[in-house]
Amino acid sequence: MYLIIVGGGKVGAPLASSLINEGHEVFVLDHNPDVVASLQRELGMIATIGEATSVRALKDAGAARAGALIATTDSDEDNLAACQLARTNFDVARTMAIAHSPENSELFDRSGVDIVVSATDLVLANLTTALPAHPLIRLMPVADRSQELVAIKLPSAGTAIGRTLSELRLPYGTKIVLIITAAGQSKPLDSEAIIEAEDEIIALSPANSTAELWELLTELR
Amino acid sequence: MNVIIVGAGNIGSSLAHKLSDLGHRITVIERNSKAVSLFTRDRVESDAITVIHRDGSTGSGMLECGISNSDVFIAATGKDSLNGLAAQRAKTIFGVEKVMAVVTDESARILYDSLGISTINKANLASDRLVSILSEEV
Repeated sequence: MYLIIVGGGKVGAPLASSLINEGHEVFVLDHNPDVVASLQRELGMIATIGEATSVRALKDAGAARAGALIATTDSDEDNLAACQLARTNFDVARTMAIAHSPENSELFDRSGVDIVVSATDLVLANLTTALPAHPLIRLMPVADRSQELVAIKLPSAGTAIGRTLSELRLPYGTKIVLIITAAGQSKPLDSEAIIEAEDEIIALSPANSTAELWELLTELR
Repeated sequence: MNVIIVGAGNIGSSLAHKLSDLGHRITVIERNSKAVSLFTRDRVESDAITVIHRDGSTGSGMLECGISNSDVFIAATGKDSLNGLAAQRAKTIFGVEKVMAVVTDESARILYDSLGISTINKANLASDRLVSILSEEV
């Protein structure tokens, strides 16, 4: 597939390289001549100098035949504009963008960007995994963010410990996807499965009841 | 009407004064803290023009401008894409009825038209005006 990457910096450059290795035809647009020169040295003539938000630059980059545009600049407004211009002016089928500011994730979603990667969510998810407490980790938004995939680590003195799955009064719409034991094994998900200390529960949760789910699973005796 | 203007550059500041002349209540939001000096003192002291030092493209900045009670939102910074993002936030997140954005790249017009955002293009307006002056004289 022919892919346009807007922004050839810390994210765009390695992304270009890995997509090329996967056999895609890739073209990178960046306003910084140094960035473009370095990409050309490392990956060949696959990059050009141009503004992400210029219709002319997108046209010259071959947006009309691109299967997807991926916006990875440091600027949220440029990422949004690049995706939207690719869609409205060139009918690019799939647009993806990084949103640096958390409040822009929702705006990007509602403004028609197909796939939004929230930089803050990614960093938070990775940092919270490393914390010793029993945190809630939001792994991935699902279905226009109306639901989310979450991971919850159970405390050893929690009220949920020793109960079966069917005994837990899960919030409406919550679906347990996977239970991983402290030893790293997955547990069969029948209704008689018993919750044990240090289990990690992966669940698909309606976004507005995730807090309730977290309280239920981490309530201390 | 309550009008929010993002950006106190040439367009933003002169627009604020003109709309204020017509009796509208103006809130200008501008990142640069020196911006207040661009506005006539009596307008600022009488609260006809309120100047807020924040990033006007953010939701919190917009809330501080009282966006929930505003009738018109005009994004007039020097950067097209920032104006586009701010205008879309005002429209889709805050539901402001009349939203306008200053753009310099005419080819972005299709996009903003499709989003229901009116665009103002400085270069176009200036050239149209010059053409009409010339055609009157010639």
